[in-house]
Amino acid sequence: MSRIAMTIAAFLFASVPLAQAADSAEEFYKGKTITYVVSTAPGGGYDTYGRLVARYMNKYMPDSKIIIRNIPGAGHVVGANTIYAAKPDGLTIGTFNTGLIYLQLLKESGVRFDLAKMSWIGKAASDTRVLVVSKSSGVKTVQELLDSSKPPIKLFAAGVGSAGYIDTRLAISALHLNVQLIPGYNGSEGTMSMLRGETQGTIGSQSSYTQFVDDGNGVYIMEAGGAAGSKIPQADQFAKDDNARQLLKMIAAESDVARLTAGPPGIPADRLALLRSVFTKAMADPQLLADAKKMDAPIAPATGEHVQQVIADALQQTPQNLQLLTQAVRAGQ
Amino acid sequence: MDLHVIFSSLLGLLFTPKLLGLMLLAIPLGIFFGCVPGLGGKLGIVLLIPFVYGMDPLPGAVFLLSMHAIVHTGGIVPSILFGVPTNGPEAPLLADGYPLVRNGQAGRALGAALSAAGIGGMIGVVCLALILPVVEPFVLSFSPIEFFWLAIIGITLISALAGKMLVQGLIVGCFGWLIGMIGLDPQTGVQRYTFNQLFLWDGFDVISGVLALYALPEMMQLGRGKSKREAGVPEINPEVTKYTFAEVWDGVKENFRHWGLTITTAVMGTFIGMIPGLGGEAAGWMCYAFAVSRSKDPERFGKGAIEGVIAPSTGMNAKEGGGLLPTLFFGVPAGSGMAIMLGALIMLGIKPGPLMIVHDLPLVWSLIWAIAISNLLCTVLLLVVGKHMSSIAHIRANVLVPVVLVFALLGTYLAKDHWESLLVFAGMGAIGYVMRRNHWPRPCFIIGLVLGPTAELSFHKAFALHGLTFLVQPTSLVMMSIIAVTLFFNLRKTYRRKPGAVAAAHPTPTGGSI
Repeated sequence: MSRIAMTIAAFLFASVPLAQAADSAEEFYKGKTITYVVSTAPGGGYDTYGRLVARYMNKYMPDSKIIIRNIPGAGHVVGANTIYAAKPDGLTIGTFNTGLIYLQLLKESGVRFDLAKMSWIGKAASDTRVLVVSKSSGVKTVQELLDSSKPPIKLFAAGVGSAGYIDTRLAISALHLNVQLIPGYNGSEGTMSMLRGETQGTIGSQSSYTQFVDDGNGVYIMEAGGAAGSKIPQADQFAKDDNARQLLKMIAAESDVARLTAGPPGIPADRLALLRSVFTKAMADPQLLADAKKMDAPIAPATGEHVQQVIADALQQTPQNLQLLTQAVRAGQ
Repeated sequence: MDLHVIFSSLLGLLFTPKLLGLMLLAIPLGIFFGCVPGLGGKLGIVLLIPFVYGMDPLPGAVFLLSMHAIVHTGGIVPSILFGVPTNGPEAPLLADGYPLVRNGQAGRALGAALSAAGIGGMIGVVCLALILPVVEPFVLSFSPIEFFWLAIIGITLISALAGKMLVQGLIVGCFGWLIGMIGLDPQTGVQRYTFNQLFLWDGFDVISGVLALYALPEMMQLGRGKSKREAGVPEINPEVTKYTFAEVWDGVKENFRHWGLTITTAVMGTFIGMIPGLGGEAAGWMCYAFAVSRSKDPERFGKGAIEGVIAPSTGMNAKEGGGLLPTLFFGVPAGSGMAIMLGALIMLGIKPGPLMIVHDLPLVWSLIWAIAISNLLCTVLLLVVGKHMSSIAHIRANVLVPVVLVFALLGTYLAKDHWESLLVFAGMGAIGYVMRRNHWPRPCFIIGLVLGPTAELSFHKAFALHGLTFLVQPTSLVMMSIIAVTLFFNLRKTYRRKPGAVAAAHPTPTGGSI
């Protein structure tokens, strides 16, 4: 009897620190203000997701206050630098573009973060990269783009160095696509140029072209990193060697982890655990799902642990791949 | 077109208390976002989205659009009275609005600008309605070639704006263009003049540039002068502040005296607003430049020409109507403000796209009417209230200077959220001060800054698409002839006139200081 009592007592005693840790994290956040950094100007996808995530995380931390701070600049670099450099007390978290993986791999000047070390809280969605071509281009399959005897088709991309541009360059290098890449199309200009017939397609995030395709103006002919069961052909089935597959993996990793939330390295474990569990609860909230649906913002969440793994994998590239990446990016210069 | 739909939408707006109430609420909000430097319509929508959250599509969209449509009208009052542009698009108003105020014509300037904005907004809406049937081919007819030449036409108007100071105008314009090149090269991704500073990656911020170039020099001049007269500002004269409605009305009538200009710039503004990528800053300046180029005395501009106030006002408000068109029917926002509006509309459950014209015509018309009504109400309101606001223009310098500088600094900081912008503000302000002292034409700087990068990017795209042959395409040939003819007439106008003739015909008490 006493042995059982002892065991129970020992068990209770052992579990005290754990319970205390959770309590102390909750205690810590009571009455505190958490700053959620959005690395773009107000408006647009990142802002929409950031505000949605912050609002519903706040729902599960009713004693704290989560405020949004937009820190745009240098294609998300300024925002990511800010989050990285913030005091790791768990009161500054935020979101930025996964394309920053490329900038870190390319060792771009101005990058003052190490994504591998950040405290990952979770991701709200995937953002499949697709090759979309306009209906007027007449192109229906990727095979038509592999035939170099035909004149190249024109794909547009955002500015040189942007994630979209790098995706396209990587895909062209990996699959030897017979295309001419025309950079400099920002925002909706690209869609207009396809409607005008001036360019024939692009590689971009699927969510940006849903309406274009739904309206019957274009078709998806290839995707990278899409969900299982998708009818669109996967990019790696066109890859001829391992190098090509490695390059495509980078795009797939980037599209798998999108709309992420992260904090600076070294957030105390109990606070990070609390933030992660609050994030997971928020993502399952029926009201959030309803709101997201209304906003045309798909939700496909994953935990902070998963995001950490994907990011770590994507950053582990062989020197050969890094060279491929550098070549893919510099080829346009 | 179904007249029943058109008018039942209007009646629905006016006689549904909720809709009318939301519009009446949107107007002061829009004026507020327009008045405070650095806030602007974009931020306005973002801040108001939580309030429309969960509303039905129609009231939510009417509320946001009514607010957004009049932001520029709200910005007119501080831009003209203090010479502080509250946001980029209002910048051209400074060139002539502020000199008019200094000449003691605040009432006339405000009357002209506000009513021009109202008329512009209305004409924009009329154009939008007329274009509905042929929406698609029109919007699609603008390719990088057209963009390139439109930008070049804008840049050549430096020749008209600079007047006698052509060389200085070109130097200032090229300087603006040079500053506009800061950032990542659009073609190679190479960093240009960024000195490894992240805040320069996205380029030089137009609003910081305009605020620095105008607000700081004016305030320095005011602050250092022993009297306002010395600083180029009339002495405080209580009689001057008590201008009558007659003066405001006189300003209103200027729109009808220059009816050709009013209508043309409103139509121009609408079309510029429809073209994705040209952006809000371009509309005002293009209309301003148009007013200069068609004037018999281009040298009056920058010294208090009433046309210089009318043209940008009509243009910038008309573009709001125009901007709705690609946003609603292509899901392609015309500018950054409309991009945020698009997101808000989708959130409200509106699905922009060509099908709207089939399925949602009543909604489309309600939105069109909402813009028209809020423009009208806002103009009338500000014409009445603006009279009281204008007495602010005669506040003593030691009160005015700190207040304006605080707002200018705030606007500069808010525009990009970088503290480094404040250093840029100081540096550009110093340059602006030297330019002002020597009467160098400052608008040329903004033209270079805004249109230079548009020209460069469009050139790259046109070249990549068509090679150099794009220069001999029919559009290019037509545009080149237009440029050659305007350049020829502008230069001839400037150099054929006898020295002194202009000054005698249009005495300007404060002297030339664009």
